[in-house]
Amino acid sequence: MSPTVTRTISLPVPGAALLEVDDLSVTFPTTSGDVDVVRKASFAVQHGQTLGIVGESGSGKSMTSLAIMGLLPNGGRTTGSVRLSGHELVGRSDREMRRVRGDRIAMVFQDPLSSLNPYYTVGLQIEEAYRAHRGGSRKAARAVTIEALERVRIADASRRVDHYPHQFSGGMRQRIMIAMALCLEPDLLIADEPTTALDVTVQAQILDLLSELQRETGTGMIFITHDLAVVSQVADDVLVMRGGDPVEMGTAEQIFSRPQAPYTRALLDALPRIDDPFSERPTAPATTGEGRA
Amino acid sequence: MTLYLLRRIASAIGILLLISLFTYAIFFLLSPDPAVQICGKTCTPDRIDQIRAQLGLDQPFWQQYLEFIRGIVMGRSYGEGASAVSCAAPCLGFSFQTNESVMDMITARFPVTATVAIGAAVLWLLVGVSGGLLSAVKQGTGWDRGAMMVALAGISLPNYFLALLLQYVLVVQLQILPFPQAVPFAEDPVRWFQNYLMPWIVLALGYASMYARLVRSNVIDTLGENFMRTARAKGLPAPLILRRHALRPALTPVVTLFGMDFAGLLGGALITETVFGLNGVGKLAADSIAKNDQPVIMGVTLLAAFFVVIGNVVVDVAYTFLDPRVRVKSA
Amino acid sequence: MSSSVPSELTTVAEEVGAPVGAPTPARRVIATLRSSPPVLLSVAFIVLVVLLAILAPLITAISGWGPYTFDKSAVDSDLGGVPIGNLGGISAEHWFGVEPGNGRDIFARIAFGAQVSLSIAVSATIVTTVLGVVLGMLAGFYGGWVDQVVSRVMDFLMAFPSLIFMIALLSALPAGNRPVLLVVVLSLFGWPYTARVVRGQAMSLRTSEFVESARASGAGGIRIVFREILPNLRGTIIVLATLAVPGYIGTEAGLSFLGVGVTPPTPSWGQMIATAVGWYAVDPMYFLIPGTFLFLTVLSFTVLGDRLRKALDSGDAAS
Repeated sequence: MSPTVTRTISLPVPGAALLEVDDLSVTFPTTSGDVDVVRKASFAVQHGQTLGIVGESGSGKSMTSLAIMGLLPNGGRTTGSVRLSGHELVGRSDREMRRVRGDRIAMVFQDPLSSLNPYYTVGLQIEEAYRAHRGGSRKAARAVTIEALERVRIADASRRVDHYPHQFSGGMRQRIMIAMALCLEPDLLIADEPTTALDVTVQAQILDLLSELQRETGTGMIFITHDLAVVSQVADDVLVMRGGDPVEMGTAEQIFSRPQAPYTRALLDALPRIDDPFSERPTAPATTGEGRA
Repeated sequence: MTLYLLRRIASAIGILLLISLFTYAIFFLLSPDPAVQICGKTCTPDRIDQIRAQLGLDQPFWQQYLEFIRGIVMGRSYGEGASAVSCAAPCLGFSFQTNESVMDMITARFPVTATVAIGAAVLWLLVGVSGGLLSAVKQGTGWDRGAMMVALAGISLPNYFLALLLQYVLVVQLQILPFPQAVPFAEDPVRWFQNYLMPWIVLALGYASMYARLVRSNVIDTLGENFMRTARAKGLPAPLILRRHALRPALTPVVTLFGMDFAGLLGGALITETVFGLNGVGKLAADSIAKNDQPVIMGVTLLAAFFVVIGNVVVDVAYTFLDPRVRVKSA
Repeated sequence: MSSSVPSELTTVAEEVGAPVGAPTPARRVIATLRSSPPVLLSVAFIVLVVLLAILAPLITAISGWGPYTFDKSAVDSDLGGVPIGNLGGISAEHWFGVEPGNGRDIFARIAFGAQVSLSIAVSATIVTTVLGVVLGMLAGFYGGWVDQVVSRVMDFLMAFPSLIFMIALLSALPAGNRPVLLVVVLSLFGWPYTARVVRGQAMSLRTSEFVESARASGAGGIRIVFREILPNLRGTIIVLATLAVPGYIGTEAGLSFLGVGVTPPTPSWGQMIATAVGWYAVDPMYFLIPGTFLFLTVLSFTVLGDRLRKALDSGDAAS
C-alpha cells in the first residue's frame, strides 16, 4: 500500500527557497537488511519562515534533520536532494559539511543537560563554536558570547558565562543552546524537540524566545515535535510524517482546519478539546509497519 | 573546601586507627606467646624473658595497644635501664630479630619500592592509555580486536609466571638481558636500568591491560554522548572534538583509579619484588612473614594501609577539581 | 544513547521480524555462548579443566602415577635430579613429564591441583556472592543506617592491604584445614566488591515501578527484596560470579606461590610454580606447564565473563 502524500502547497520556485528538500530518503544497514527510516520526504523552508515537522516517535522526523546536517549515526545513507540556497548538500564531504554546520545551519537538541559538556563552562562551549568558524581572539569571542547570552535573556551574563551547565536550570540551559546556535547568525535553525524536556511554563517562554529571535534575525526554522499544540503556535508550514513517510504538507492553517489525510485527521482528533470534555477520543492509528525494507 | 578536607582527613585517621586495632588484635590473639615469635627461630629462654620484660607483655591488651599508638605519635622506648631501646617517632615497632626499628628498615627499602612503582606506572600509563585511546578510535578494526585480545591475556597472566617466562626467554635463551642484580644508579646506570626493566614490564602489563580496556570503554561511551553530537553540529574540527570533548570525560575516572593503584603499589609490590629479588618494602614483608618477625609485619601492613587511605583522600579531593559537578559549593 | 536513533531503528527492526520483546537473560546467555569462537574455546577449556579436576583420581589410576608417588627412575640423580628426556621428561609414562628431584608425575599433580584450585575458587565465589548479594541488596534497598553500617564495613575492608594481611594471617595460623581457611580469608576480603555493585543496582531498582506496586499491594520489605529485586539482579550476579572465579584462582595461586596457601604435599598450581623457580633455567617445562594452565583457566573465565557482561549490558540494543 503506497503512502498517501497530499500536497496542498506547491513547491516554491527553485532557487528562491532557503532550503529545498526533494525525495530525501535515509537508509540504515542492519543485520536483517537495509531499513528505510525516511522515505522520499520533500519540503521547503522559506527565509524567515518556520516549518513544523510533526509525527510520533519513529516517524523519521529527527532522522530527516540529521540527514540535512550530514550527522547521521553509524552507516546511515542519504539519498535525494537537499539544497541550501540552491547549493546541494547531499554527497558533500564531511569537511565541507563542517563549514556549513553551525555557521549556515545550526541545531538545537532535545535534552539541554546532556547536550552540553559538563566539564566545560557554557562560555567556552559557545566561544569555541564562534572561533571555529570566525577565528579571532578569545576576547572577541567572549564578547560575542556574552552578547549572545544576553540576547536569550540570561541574567548577569558576564558572570554566568563562566558557569557550568549543571549550575543552570533546564529552561536556561535550553536558552544557552539557542544562544550557541544563533551566535554565528545561521540562515537556518533546526530545533529538534527543543521544549519536550521542559515544563509547560518554561516551554511557553522558550517558544516566545524563538519566535522573537526569528523575527529579529530573519532566520528560517525547522521545528520538530510530536506535540501538535506546539506546532500550531510556531509553524507557518507543517509537514506530517508517519513511519518514515511524509503524509501531508501544507500551511498551518490548511493542516489544522482542513486536514486531508486520514492520519492527520486522526492526530488532530486525538487532541483533547477544552470545549467538549466527554468527546470520544480515538487514538491515532499505531504505525502498522508500512515502512518495511 | 577546607572543611571538607578536614572531614576527610579525620575519617582517614579513623579508618587507619581501626585497621591498626584490627591488625594488632589479630596478631595479639593469634600468637599465644609473642615473645617467642618476636624472638625468632634462634632463641634462648633468657632472651624470651628479656623480651617479655622489655615489651611489657604482662600488660593488658588495651594498654599495649595504646602504647603502640603513642609510639607512632611520640616515639617510645622498650624496656628500662641499661637494656632500654629507643625508637624515634613515628615508631611503627621494633624488630628484635634484626635489632632495628621497623621505620628504619622501611625507609632503607622504600627507594626500591618507589622505583619499581614509578617506573611501572610510567610504562603502564603510556601503553595502557594510548592503547585504549587508539582502540576506541579504531573501534571494530583488526587493531582494536588484536589489542583487546592482548589486553585480555595481560590481565589473565599471573605476575610470577610472566616473570619466570621473561627471565627464561630474555636472560637464559636470548641473552638480551643480564641476570637481575641490584646495582645503584650512580654506579652503573645501564645495569641499573636493565635490572629494573623486567620488574617494570611484569608489573606494568597487568595494569596496562586493565587501563587499556577501561580507557577504550570510557572513550567509546563518551563518543556516544549527546554533547558529542552537539560538538559535531557546531561544525568543530574533528581533532578538537576528540581532544577537548572526548578526552576529559573519558579520562577523569582513569585518573582517580590511577591514584588508588599507585598508592597501593607504594605499600610494596610483594610478589614482583620477591620474584626478582628486589630489596623493597614488599620483599621485606614477605621475608618477615617467613621469619615470623611480627613487629615488621605489623609496621608494613600499617604503612601500606596508610598509603591506600591517603590515596583515597587525595583522589577524592582531586576529583572535586577535575569534575565541575562534584565541586564543593563554596557560596 | 538517548537520541531518537535506537528507538526508531528498533521500532522498524522489530517490525521486520526480530523477536518480539527483549530477550530474557537466559536466552541472551545461551546466545552469547554460541556466538563466537573465543567464547566457545573458553567454555571448552573450562569444561576440560573441570573434568580434569573431577576425574583426577580416575585418570591417575589409569596412568598409574599418583600425585604423591615418587619415580626416581625418571630423574637423573647424577645431574642433580634433572628429568631424563626432552621437555622435562615427557613420555608415554608421564604425559606431562616429571618434577625434578623427586620424579613426581606432573600430569597427576596438575589434575589434583586443578581440583584444589577450582574447589577453593568456586567455594570462595559462592560465599562471596551470597554475602555480597544479600548485604548489597539490604544496604541498597533499605538505605539509612543499614546502608551506613554496611558501607563503612565495605570501605574498611577495601582499604585493607589485603594481600599482606592475608599472607600474615595465613602464616600465623596453624596448618589445620588450609583450603577452608583460604576460602574464609578470600571471601572476607572479596565480598565488598560484589556488594558494591549489587548495592548500586538495588538502589536504582528501589524506585522502580514493580517495587512500588509490590509495596502498594502490601508486601513487606524483606519480601520485596527477595522477590522483586533479586530476580532483576540475575544477570549482574551471573557476571559477577563468573568474573570472581578467575580472581580467586589467581589469588589462591599467588598465595600458594608465596608459600602460605595449601601446604605441601597437596599440589597446587601456584605452589608448583614456586618450586619451579629454582629449576627454570634447566627445566622450563616445570614452570611452563602449571603456568600455562593457570593462565588459560583464568583467561577462559575472564573471556566468558566479559562476553556475558556485554550481552547482559546491551539490554535493548541488538548485540
